[in-house]
Amino acid sequence: MTTPRKKEHRIPRVSPAKVAITLRLDPDRARRLQAIAEAENRTLTNYVETALIRDLARRDEAARVMTMLAAPGISETISPEEVERGADESDAEFARRRDLVVALWQIPDSD
Amino acid sequence: MPPGAFVRVLFPTREKPREPGLLHIGYVLGGTQVGIIVAYTTSQPWPADLPLAAGVRLFTASEAAALNQSRPFILRLDVLAKLPLTPVWFPDIGQEGKGVIAVAPARLREELMEIATNLVRRRSELLEMRGI
Repeated sequence: MTTPRKKEHRIPRVSPAKVAITLRLDPDRARRLQAIAEAENRTLTNYVETALIRDLARRDEAARVMTMLAAPGISETISPEEVERGADESDAEFARRRDLVVALWQIPDSD
Repeated sequence: MPPGAFVRVLFPTREKPREPGLLHIGYVLGGTQVGIIVAYTTSQPWPADLPLAAGVRLFTASEAAALNQSRPFILRLDVLAKLPLTPVWFPDIGQEGKGVIAVAPARLREELMEIATNLVRRRSELLEMRGI
């Protein structure tokens, strides 16, 4: 006995370079975005995509100032109390470096 | 690992940021008992046609020699890695000296901390300006 072949799903015609995502927005915000998109002679999808691309570009710009590569499993933040003190550091030197290390540690992985 | 140390580290590459990379000398900015922030160094000279980036400090042959390094090198305080203190990343950590080549004198440590502090400030200002 043969099993009937499952009906194959039709793959929607989309550019292979793009993926579809579902975006849920509250109605007021969606209406506002739609109005802005229309004013700019764009579709809402194009407007949202452009806004996201702009945001990525800004983040890339910030990442170019400092690149942080984080090993897998390393904590994302540390508290000032965890920072190890150097053997010959004065209180003031340690305080400055401790603040720097805590600030550096907060920089997210640039990958 | 003492802050200000130049240490042997398998610094990750941008291509494979999650894996140990080739052996480099890293500069230790500091950290905790279990992990540290290390800045990248390379003996590759800075490209002559490129303006020096804000986080770059060049070390001449004599400055390098004072830090037990045989060639001039550049330190990139703008290229950092957060790494656990394990042999996976620090191959000599189990040995005497822990792979530390030299420790920067106080004056140099202060200078390098100033560069890193300015970079952090610039990054924060940029993020704020961009509304991120």
